[in-house]
Amino acid sequence: MGHTSLDKIIALQNKPANIRNLCILAHVDHGKTTLADCLVASNGIISSRLAGKLRYLDSREDEQIRGITMKSSAISLHYSVGGEDYLINLIDSPGHVDFSSEVSTAVRLCDGAIVIVDAVEGVCPQTQAVLRQAWLENIRPVLVINKIDRLIGELKLTSQEAYTHLQKILEQVNAVTGSLFTSKVLEERAEKDSEVREAGGGDNGEQVYDWSAGLEESDDSDLYFSPDQGNVVFASAIDGWGFSIHQFAHMYSQKMGIRSEVLLKTLWGDFYLNAKAKKIMKGAQSKGKKPLFVQLVLDNIWSLYDAVVLKRDKEKVEKVMSSLGVKVAARDSRHSDPRVLLSAICSQWLPVSQAVLTMVCNRLPSPLDMAAERVEKLMCVGARRFDCLPEKTQELKRAFLECKSDTSAPVVVFVSKMFAVDSKALPQNKQRPLTQEEMAQRRELARQRHAEKLAASQAADAPAQPLSQGRSATDSDHPGPDVLPDHGEAMTLKANKVDEEEGKEHFIAFARVYSGVVRKGQKVFVLGPKYDPAEGLKKLPEGCSTADDLCTVPHMACCSLGSLYLLMGRELEELEEVPAGNVLGIGGMEDWILKSATISTSPACPPFTPLNFEATPIVRVAIEPKHPSEMPKLVRGMKLLNQADPCAEVLIQETGEHVLVTAGEVHLQRCLDDLRERFAKIEISASKPIIPFRETIVRPPKVDMVNEELGKQQKVAVIRQVKEEQSKYPETVQVDSTGLVTLTTANRMATIGVRAIPLPEEVTQLLEANSDLIRTMELFNLSMKEGKTLEINQKTLESIQDLKRKLESYMQGRKWRSAVNRIWSFGPRRYGPNILVNNLEGYRRPSVWQCLEKERSRAETYREFDNSIVSGFQLATLSGPMCEEPLMGVCFSLEKWDMKLPRQPSEGDRVSPDDPARLDRSGDGVYGQTSDQEAQGGSESESVVPTGSSEGKRRNNSSLVDCYGPFSGQLIAAMKEACRYAFQAKPQRLMAAMYTCEIMATAEVLGRVYGVLSKREGRVLQEEMKEGTEVFIIKAVLPVAESFGFADEIRKRTSGLASPQLIFSHWEVISSDPFWVPTTEEEYLHFGEKADSINQALKYMNGVRRRKGLYVEEKIVEHAEKQRTLGKNK
Amino acid sequence: MSIFTPTNQIRLTNVAVVRMKKGGKRFEIACYKNKVMSWRSGAEKDLDEVLQTNTVFINVSKGQVAKKEDLSKAFGTEDLTEICKQILAKGELQVSDKERQTQLEQMFRDIATIVAEKCVNPETKRPYTVSLIERAMKDIHYSVKANKSTKQQALEVIRQLKETMQIQRAHMRLRFILPAKEGKRLKEKLKPLLKVVESEDFDEQLEMVCLIDPGCFREIDELIRCETKGKGTLEVLSLKDVEEGDEKLE
Repeated sequence: MGHTSLDKIIALQNKPANIRNLCILAHVDHGKTTLADCLVASNGIISSRLAGKLRYLDSREDEQIRGITMKSSAISLHYSVGGEDYLINLIDSPGHVDFSSEVSTAVRLCDGAIVIVDAVEGVCPQTQAVLRQAWLENIRPVLVINKIDRLIGELKLTSQEAYTHLQKILEQVNAVTGSLFTSKVLEERAEKDSEVREAGGGDNGEQVYDWSAGLEESDDSDLYFSPDQGNVVFASAIDGWGFSIHQFAHMYSQKMGIRSEVLLKTLWGDFYLNAKAKKIMKGAQSKGKKPLFVQLVLDNIWSLYDAVVLKRDKEKVEKVMSSLGVKVAARDSRHSDPRVLLSAICSQWLPVSQAVLTMVCNRLPSPLDMAAERVEKLMCVGARRFDCLPEKTQELKRAFLECKSDTSAPVVVFVSKMFAVDSKALPQNKQRPLTQEEMAQRRELARQRHAEKLAASQAADAPAQPLSQGRSATDSDHPGPDVLPDHGEAMTLKANKVDEEEGKEHFIAFARVYSGVVRKGQKVFVLGPKYDPAEGLKKLPEGCSTADDLCTVPHMACCSLGSLYLLMGRELEELEEVPAGNVLGIGGMEDWILKSATISTSPACPPFTPLNFEATPIVRVAIEPKHPSEMPKLVRGMKLLNQADPCAEVLIQETGEHVLVTAGEVHLQRCLDDLRERFAKIEISASKPIIPFRETIVRPPKVDMVNEELGKQQKVAVIRQVKEEQSKYPETVQVDSTGLVTLTTANRMATIGVRAIPLPEEVTQLLEANSDLIRTMELFNLSMKEGKTLEINQKTLESIQDLKRKLESYMQGRKWRSAVNRIWSFGPRRYGPNILVNNLEGYRRPSVWQCLEKERSRAETYREFDNSIVSGFQLATLSGPMCEEPLMGVCFSLEKWDMKLPRQPSEGDRVSPDDPARLDRSGDGVYGQTSDQEAQGGSESESVVPTGSSEGKRRNNSSLVDCYGPFSGQLIAAMKEACRYAFQAKPQRLMAAMYTCEIMATAEVLGRVYGVLSKREGRVLQEEMKEGTEVFIIKAVLPVAESFGFADEIRKRTSGLASPQLIFSHWEVISSDPFWVPTTEEEYLHFGEKADSINQALKYMNGVRRRKGLYVEEKIVEHAEKQRTLGKNK
Repeated sequence: MSIFTPTNQIRLTNVAVVRMKKGGKRFEIACYKNKVMSWRSGAEKDLDEVLQTNTVFINVSKGQVAKKEDLSKAFGTEDLTEICKQILAKGELQVSDKERQTQLEQMFRDIATIVAEKCVNPETKRPYTVSLIERAMKDIHYSVKANKSTKQQALEVIRQLKETMQIQRAHMRLRFILPAKEGKRLKEKLKPLLKVVESEDFDEQLEMVCLIDPGCFREIDELIRCETKGKGTLEVLSLKDVEEGDEKLE
């Protein structure tokens, strides 16, 4: 078959009944791309000799190197059977689990799928996954059992054994389909049950439980694969042969005179040929006879392999060839590798492309036969029912089913992914032969330029010697050699321009037309996934079209289509228009579509259901450019990558990290390669992302590390510890035994007493959840402070009230009496999960809840430096003493706050000796004056403060100056230090971020899943079996710090049978104390003096400290004696 | 003194000598290498891991042991362990390469952490990561000075990094309220110090919210305090103006 012309394909595109959109699905390495090669070769695009070796559709370099497909790519093929021409839009998909998102994008665009199963390996995890995916998208699968040659060559099975083996594989595949069917029926039943229960809740008691589960009622016979149904092909794509039962039935009915219908039914199954009676009988197995399939089909193939490959018997080969009526080129038959001869024979005898494509044309539906159920499923987003959609939308369903290519039909296109191509690959930029005129033009241009140059050189040479003049004259006589370089120059100029264009990546939308005809430059609506047709129809006037610029509807944009392309594997052919039912590429949509979208001319069109991805992105890495100055390039590249990959996610974290989230390690590698070579074009490095921690305190533990009651024996140790710690603190700090820390500022004018108390867990959670609310409150309070009022709507007020009530209910007991009312501030950043409580006697400040109070009581005012205390608290909560990470769930209570203000009139005489710095300055004229002023201000403020003027306070705030800097600053520092010491006086703990991890696994790998989880400090919460399947769902929690490489490890250990999903859930206290050393006798006994066992919390803490360059209490060398001995003079 | 021949010469290997002069005499102790700093920082608690022997020498390399009367005269005690501890704590020593290296490495990281904390990418208003700053510091061949504080050096690094990459100190957001009288005059003076004026409200008194470079804070504070004689007020709204929360790139 020759190369199919573009015109023919365009003609075929208009006949939807003869179009087959299909994709090839299978487990990795089961031969998808090889089969695709064979099919491509049948159209003469590649040589049939290279089929299977070239992997034509693997166009990326890394795909060729690694030998796995990484993206789905489409090609349009032409095939004719039974006098009908068919257009086959074939999509090859990757089999590796990391790229299952690409499979989803391929499956969505197709009506049918070829599922390939390796004859040796049988059903593999990805086979199950793709069958499930095909099932979920309601597309019809056909089966190809590939690599049958391996049964002969590698396993050395006899034809009889091979038959039973093939039967087993078929059973496995059907079992998977069966379980999918059962689970669907059970689901439907459960839905129905719940509906019934809702409808009639009264007669529950009399309901008789129906155990039949409805399985019997639903018919599932047409779902299964069976050779006699014609939906199974046996093949060996590498050797280029494949057959279905039909072919043999047809062949033998002529030879043996048995009707082909009978043969069809009996060729596969427990039948045998009774040679004497010339009859086909049932029960081959029980009678020990060869089944018909073995006798008529497999034996022939086996003998062919035997003759050609194993025995290399020339004569026999000749005989077989003549009996098959096959002629082989002399070159092939002389080839030293018997495989070449084999494939030459087989590809003529039983060409795989013919078998597969015939099956495809006969068994898979055309776009016209799309199931109504599937249309409804596509059009209903989420849980909405089809009947709930607006009427106009429901009408669209008809357009779908008709798949009409009239100009009147509404255009509906679904874009399943965007892929990037070099501008070189675009047909516009392709090199083509120059036309006559262009050549003439170029010649003219070159001539002109040459003339100019000549003129210039003559002008320059004119004052020079006459000799050179003569030379230039001779030069002009021979324009030839001069023109050529000129021409070359022009060419390089052009090339430069092309190079610039090449730098830009072009995105092409991988799409399918479901209805109508798309044209180049057509105006359409682009509908985002959240678009609601009901809303859109309401807002847009009746009968409006895309020509009007009405883009006010949310999630809807209006744009015109760029060029349309026919996807031909690596190449693209430009098209003018594409009718319904075809797969196509659309250019120039990168500004409108991110990853996938629905395009329509009718606003009534609903967005299609989002693609369901089997794997969610879970492998996180932080990405950085090698050279920091290339940051903008990286960001641009990551944006492009995000658009080009359906499954990759990129985000910038608060810490400034650029994080890339991918589906697996192989996927990650591809994304990094893409970034390096295509999108960012810079050197990048990927590393483990930074893992956040929180610091907190807990109540003193009651038992020690060996679960012994902490009795008297420890007290000795505790006292010793306290004594030690006491010496660690600087002189200005005192810590009493209850954890109250008293600290004096550097200029000894203020003393602060702070105590740290752990908050109950519920309170911490409540504060975390309501941070937005707290922020609003804080805004209100700030504006109140300035005497302005901020309006807060009723709803927010109510939720604030609710928050307060809840806090009160959680914080009960003597310790917390009226604590909620005395909350001073939240931190860090004024809305975090830590609290500062005002436990001062005689200081009533306006509470944080003042937005709830109708009237402000006059007695409550802010004391001076209120702000400094709050700032100090904020700073302390922002970075804790353990490893400078934020605090969480800590309550600081301020219990003492004394200030010796120097400028009180009664103490005026004592001021100067107290503060020598001030004394010095007052010698200066100007300063003396100001200090006088300040003194006045100070006294004023003292009298003013009780009456509530904040002006006085402010003035004072900024007016204090001494040798330690502004007093407000000192107070901030003092408060911060006091909080830190108070924190350290309590038992400190680290909090780790936790993922909830949902793992789907089959029963046989459960043990390994548990192994991986426990190795990574994970904890299993629950495990249950999914109804109707044999898949277990395990819920576990796992520290984020341990999650790097988790997905990869679990996949490796379970051979891909378990797939985890990680979602951040909460913060959890790590129970071990990072500063723990054995103190009690039992602990000494158990752990020894040094406690060499690993302390998880200490490990995390030191990791963070080391990363931040903080001091880590570690010895440079562990054992002094075990250092390398160096000679003195060396 | 014997003759130094290869056979009777004993070489001291892996010995770190800590010296101290007290009471006019020089005392030395023999310690293990790389251990003295750990002892001083408190990481090493076992004295036997630090001291080779708890004898006090006059000269370690010659093996001359200090006399008892000298010791008791200088230290007021004869307890050798106690004396060793004193010498360890206060004596001078040659810092070994490993110790110096770890110290410098730690300072390097510390500087990078400070820079990363203080600075943002002016385009995105997002901080850089510590590892990126570290790499940038290596690119400009910054060498850490052991005797300067890390904070000082961090400021120096920021200045140098500005030449090679997009970096600036995170701005401080301030609000000041100035009385009407001085408002106009002061505004002109403040203008050069402000980076961005976010809002300006002039009725009765001038209220401004603006972003400044943290380095100018003192200056502005001083200016407002002196010029308005304590009538103007200054409030720090946020120490660092950075983008919060995660952002999805789209």
